[in-house]
Amino acid sequence: MAHLPREARDTLFLLTVVAWVVFMQVGHIPWWCTALTAAMLIWRARLTLRGQPLPGWAWRAGLLALTLGGTWLTHRTILGRDAGVTLIVVLLALKTLEMRARRDAFVVFFLSFFTLLTHFFYSQSLLTAIGILIALLGLLTALVNAHMPVGRAPLKQSARIAGSLALLGAPVMLVLFLLFPRMAPLWGMPSDSMTGRSGLSGQMRVGEIAKLALDDSIAMRVQFEGDPPPQNELYFRGPVFSTFDGTEWLPLRSGFTKRVALEANLSVAGEPIRYTVTLESHRHPWLLTLDASAKAPQVAGQVVQMNADLHWRTRQPTGGLLRYSAESHTSFRHGPLQAELALQDLVELPAGYNPRTFALAQALRREHGAGAENAPALVKAVIDKLRTGGYTYTLDPGIYGRDTADEFWFDRREGFCEHIASSFVILMRAMDIPARIVTGYQGGELNSVDGFWTVRQSDAHAWTEVWLEGQGWVRVDPTSAVSPGRTGSFERLLAPEGAFAGAVRTINPTLAANLRAVWEAVNNRWNQTVLNYSQGNQLSLLKNLGFDAPGWTDLAYVLISVLVAVSLAGAAWNLWERQQHDPWMRLLTRARQRLDRLGLDADEQTPPRELARLTQRHFGDTAFAQSVSLWLIRLEAQRYSRHSPLSLATLQREFQQLPWPKGNAR
Amino acid sequence: MGLFDRINLLAPLRQRLRQWFLNRLPPSDTLTLTQRNVYILPTRPGWMLGFTLMLLLVASINYQLNLGYLLTFLLAGSAVVGMHVCHSNLRGLTLHLAPPLSMHAGQAVSLEVRLANERRKPRFGIGLGVSSHRGSRDDDGLAWLDVPAQGSETVHVAWAPDRRGRHGTPALTAVTLFPLGTFRVWTIWRTAAQVIVFPAPEQQPPPLPPGEPQPGHAAASARSSNSGEFDGVRAYRRGDPQKTVVWKKAAQAFAAGRDDLVSRDTLAMQRQQLWLDHATCGAADLESRLSRLTAWLLMADEQGLDYGLRLPGKEFAPDHGAAHKLQCLEAMALC
Repeated sequence: MAHLPREARDTLFLLTVVAWVVFMQVGHIPWWCTALTAAMLIWRARLTLRGQPLPGWAWRAGLLALTLGGTWLTHRTILGRDAGVTLIVVLLALKTLEMRARRDAFVVFFLSFFTLLTHFFYSQSLLTAIGILIALLGLLTALVNAHMPVGRAPLKQSARIAGSLALLGAPVMLVLFLLFPRMAPLWGMPSDSMTGRSGLSGQMRVGEIAKLALDDSIAMRVQFEGDPPPQNELYFRGPVFSTFDGTEWLPLRSGFTKRVALEANLSVAGEPIRYTVTLESHRHPWLLTLDASAKAPQVAGQVVQMNADLHWRTRQPTGGLLRYSAESHTSFRHGPLQAELALQDLVELPAGYNPRTFALAQALRREHGAGAENAPALVKAVIDKLRTGGYTYTLDPGIYGRDTADEFWFDRREGFCEHIASSFVILMRAMDIPARIVTGYQGGELNSVDGFWTVRQSDAHAWTEVWLEGQGWVRVDPTSAVSPGRTGSFERLLAPEGAFAGAVRTINPTLAANLRAVWEAVNNRWNQTVLNYSQGNQLSLLKNLGFDAPGWTDLAYVLISVLVAVSLAGAAWNLWERQQHDPWMRLLTRARQRLDRLGLDADEQTPPRELARLTQRHFGDTAFAQSVSLWLIRLEAQRYSRHSPLSLATLQREFQQLPWPKGNAR
Repeated sequence: MGLFDRINLLAPLRQRLRQWFLNRLPPSDTLTLTQRNVYILPTRPGWMLGFTLMLLLVASINYQLNLGYLLTFLLAGSAVVGMHVCHSNLRGLTLHLAPPLSMHAGQAVSLEVRLANERRKPRFGIGLGVSSHRGSRDDDGLAWLDVPAQGSETVHVAWAPDRRGRHGTPALTAVTLFPLGTFRVWTIWRTAAQVIVFPAPEQQPPPLPPGEPQPGHAAASARSSNSGEFDGVRAYRRGDPQKTVVWKKAAQAFAAGRDDLVSRDTLAMQRQQLWLDHATCGAADLESRLSRLTAWLLMADEQGLDYGLRLPGKEFAPDHGAAHKLQCLEAMALC
């Protein structure tokens, strides 16, 4: 950029920054939006390089209409979050096409900030933060550069100034971040906030968790107090599905009234396992706990309730990362022990689906006997069938048709945990045994760097619970019958990895694992300290500051006190500066005091020339007296001559370098 | 500001306020900018930034984005630091106004201002200009400069006084928007120096008036070509004695490649005196008379003639030279 004229260089720099801002959004905007934005930015850069005029309003209006149309076609709305992000990115690029005056540059600047913020809807990871910081510094640099109108200010200088602004602004950021009261959302989460994120969902369509199995991102992190339970006990319970409509599993839609609804009836035994969970943002109300948790998990500022199916949920979905501590027991018993009317909901199946599975159920009942007392035998028979019947566990079972259970049991004989669990429950219900599907995560991985257990989306799992008379709900994991390695050991179906990770792995497998462990530990630290910083942390911070029962108002009080203290300090500084604001007088006083210590008696009001004369008289014709008086005359000239070439700073430097005698005479 | 622009009724009030404000500033030709005389207000983009921060904050609250809080607060922190940097960009600066030169009315002149910076850091993007009457927000006609660290920079500010007479130099404004343009920091400097503005010379003046007979000399007094009193020059004419040739000028002309000789002309001036008289100059009112006289004076001075000036109640005997010219011009300026 060195040979370009100033204005062209500034424009190109701003375009680069805008390109970076947009680049970070590429994963979240439709492909056409990326292409259109890139084309507009390149176009603008070409116009700048060739010194051609900017396009007329018709072009801009046309592009805007195109964008609105494209957004409508993609999102079926032009409001809402995703559509908004698409629009703002294009608007940003469009604005650069009419960027002439400083005012337009400001609009680009502010639009960029909105675009940056929208990025947080999708990710708040450390990497995102670094990218955003780069963008912020770039934008500040462009702004600083725009306000150095003289000559051709080097960008490096602007960048340095912008960097120091941000660096000096960081304490302000820190104070506000620590003390700004965290409020509840002002209005509800927009409904489209669930699209485009991975994780467990509120219903289960067969084949859905298979998508998750390829998702290597982190679902939650768990820190156990004391020893963690064995890997095969690590069932993190999520949504439970009890109603099947033929294609989809849904939470229980009871045909019974509340009075005859099922009770959780949980009784636990043994010492609880205590642990803290940091759940990545998933925008659902549920909390994942280790099976089974009798006490409500402690979530700061949230009321937590348990469903009858032993699944904990908050009142409102929380947006960001959620941290809670919980207690669980791996030995427990729940559900009614005797047959209840409400259990009828859990043997319901839609009519007309899976006829061959029904036939299989009849055959099994004929073989092992019907009735509640034979249920354990029937379960065992089906598990045996899964183990020995040539069924395989695969991540890519193909697309299932209408009768998913029939296809699984008789045609394909392969599937992922949800196919297996769904088919298993359908078969159980066909045999009049109450059964349901539990989704959640199974297993995890210990990060040796920071000792947290990492649970990934690829650990998402579906298992089943079967009701047995006298025992209540019993967990049955049919997947482990098909593929014993899926649970209980570290053996996993590995998701395809990126080229870089693959390359590192071929060179040194442990290095790859270690790098990943370190990176995830750093990320976890980021999550724990920054993203997890909540009102609870704020209040405990206040507690450390000495407040007994801190509340929202104390927070505001401390924040205001800090602001007042800083302002007072600033005012005091100004007062001090004003009192001493004449550096020339200060320098003269210093010189007089120094000479005074050497035995020269001079009045406070002695002007420099007189002081020089006194010095010469007192010290005689020495080199010291010569240089001091010369310096004093230069000091006088600095103040009173019309065009003194000297600056006060030079005189200050010279003052230090005068040949003062080492020891003081007096 | 926009409101004040549109409502003209408020303009006189505004002008009066401004005058009151200016009058309470002590005039001085050296001004050190301190907390007391530096003002700061957000600019329009500054308000826009505030609005942006508000929106970012609301979005962060509503979507519970801790990273959003961080971004918002970092931007806010940078803006606060920017405000301080902007203020200190002017604060501590010393402005000196060099004594201005006199000029003619309507002529643009440059006021030379030296900005001295004691600080160890340079000061960027400082605009200096004549404080405008329409309000202090008009930054278009400013001269922009950077002042190096522990150094000084000189800037020339154009100023065109429209009336003759003795004028105080105008109030000057120093402005900075550096670094972010979100705040405008400015000072108004009432300078003390005075400048005498001569009448504007007439654009197409008639030729110089004929000389008047010298009092006390006979009109037909003999030409004394060797009297030693030389009053003017003219082109060399054949027959001019060699000693009347101005050899110095001739040598300059030769050096410049021309070969025209110049002779001293003592003849006309010996008999005739050039008087520039307001009463007989031919223009109607005082201003246009002064204008014509000024133009004549400049012509006479250029030709090196002796000239006298008669103004109402004042008379300057014929003479030449810079001091005489200045004296006459000042007399006309203050007439």
